[in-house]
Amino acid sequence: MVVPAILSIAIFFGSLILIFSEKLNRSITAIAGAALMVGLGMIFGFYSEEAALKAIDFNTLGLLFGMMILVAMLEPTGFFQYLAVLAARSSKGKPMRLFILLGIITTVLSMFLDNVTTVVLIAPVTILICEIMGISALPFLVSEALLSNTGGVATLIGDPPNVLIGSAAGLSFNDFLIYSLPIVLFSWAGAFLLLRTLFKKELSKRPRSVKAIMRLNPSETLNEPLIARRILIVLGGAILFFFVHNTLHISPSLVALSAAAIALVWVRPDIQEVLKRIEWSVLIFFGALFVMVGGLEHAGVMEAIVGLLERVSNVPPILFGVGLIWIVAALSAVVDNVPITIAMIPVIKGLGEAGMDITPLWWALAFGAGFGGNGTIIGSTANIIVTTLSEKTRHPITSKIWNKRGLPVMLMTCAIASILYTIVYNWF
Amino acid sequence: MNVTSCMKRNVVSVHEKTTVQEAAVILVKKHIGLLPVVDKDDKPIGVIGMSDMLTLELPDFVTFVADVDFVHDFGAVEDIHPSARTLNKTVKTLMKPAITVDEDCGLLRAYALMLQHNLHDMPVVSKAEKLVGITSRVDIGVAILSTWPKADK
Repeated sequence: MVVPAILSIAIFFGSLILIFSEKLNRSITAIAGAALMVGLGMIFGFYSEEAALKAIDFNTLGLLFGMMILVAMLEPTGFFQYLAVLAARSSKGKPMRLFILLGIITTVLSMFLDNVTTVVLIAPVTILICEIMGISALPFLVSEALLSNTGGVATLIGDPPNVLIGSAAGLSFNDFLIYSLPIVLFSWAGAFLLLRTLFKKELSKRPRSVKAIMRLNPSETLNEPLIARRILIVLGGAILFFFVHNTLHISPSLVALSAAAIALVWVRPDIQEVLKRIEWSVLIFFGALFVMVGGLEHAGVMEAIVGLLERVSNVPPILFGVGLIWIVAALSAVVDNVPITIAMIPVIKGLGEAGMDITPLWWALAFGAGFGGNGTIIGSTANIIVTTLSEKTRHPITSKIWNKRGLPVMLMTCAIASILYTIVYNWF
Repeated sequence: MNVTSCMKRNVVSVHEKTTVQEAAVILVKKHIGLLPVVDKDDKPIGVIGMSDMLTLELPDFVTFVADVDFVHDFGAVEDIHPSARTLNKTVKTLMKPAITVDEDCGLLRAYALMLQHNLHDMPVVSKAEKLVGITSRVDIGVAILSTWPKADK
């Protein structure tokens, strides 16, 4: 089993390095890596086409795809602009108040929608509002990315790693509300207060133009109020079904795909336009990663890791969990948290088979993967998006700024989560 | 008919070392929207247009938002003016690649190229690639329309 293990490790880590160094687009890398894994797996007899197909978690892909369709339909209605402009009006031109309102909107949206989508939709309006007020958009953009990453950890559907963990561990939407949400609330509050303090100087500057903000008209941002209302009703219905999906014995992906189907039939949009807005690259990346990690599993790599970890199993389980939070967070800060999560899942499952109580470990994985992305400018896609957008303004976000603003937030949220994790450990 | 029949032969162009400020003065004085940038042999190496200048006044973060209908007052954006440092940069830093046509290019081909690249003015070059004229959508459109049969009285 040595050759298959070495080959599969080489493919997986080679792909991670290519993605991390930005030498090759992550979806292209993943497709190439998956094809190589299956090809070599068949030659060396450790992997097969059937096994590769079985390795793909269609529950995760279905949930992501369903939610993407709903968002793709909601996006052109102007609903997200509406929320941001409403916040601007309600802030009455006070930067600190705007900061609080936009922070809360971003967090709540990212609890139910993908973080990347939330940031893609809110950040451009934020820049426009800040430019009109004559203040720097930088504190707002950095906070939006950080708070959406943080808020997303609270729910099953808020963050792709949670979707993966929920599906692999059989954790329901309500499990996340019971075990993750409270811890995230405390971590979020810590992050928010820290950001307020870190950006105090910028946020206490008087805006140059308040009158212009009061002349923004929220109702004019809604291009399609009727369509927006219909999609929001469907989205609301979907969230209600998420609450009871476990009792009804239906998977979250069925809820999301059904909601997408209902919205499509009710609104009957131009399907080509909707499909264009689906993030296919994300779905492809996930699918290909599943195939790659399936190869690692079949080559016996995960078993070997589990074997290694068992040797340190005399470590107290709480310490093991807290250690996992920090290790996953550190990894997620430098590499995409999705491959980390997909790779960690079989390891944790293996530990479970070896007799360890793994429920707390799933939560540790969720917190580490979710909060870790805040650590660096490339830690999460949301960070990369706000950074790219900020380059068009007069206050671009740099790595140096991120290290002073984002890194403390990551450390703070991980610390709060670790403390609470230790306190509530026995309830997991 | 080809583009030479409708192009302006008297082209105002600038050298790559011209500053943004000098180029702006020329645009204002001549009331034109596009300046070909030429090298020492009079070959076009780029163009600098009104919209390139105006992004300095209204940065393109506006285009990130799908629809700006709801903004009635641009507030502090109105006070944005390019800094002296920006104005002293050369046009080379701001110019776009030149899309040109040969002087024997037909009217419809020239129009099709302008549509494809979303241009309003296009420099015309000789066989030796030297700048010989400039033509616009209106110039070409008028030349085409004038060939249409006249209505019977």
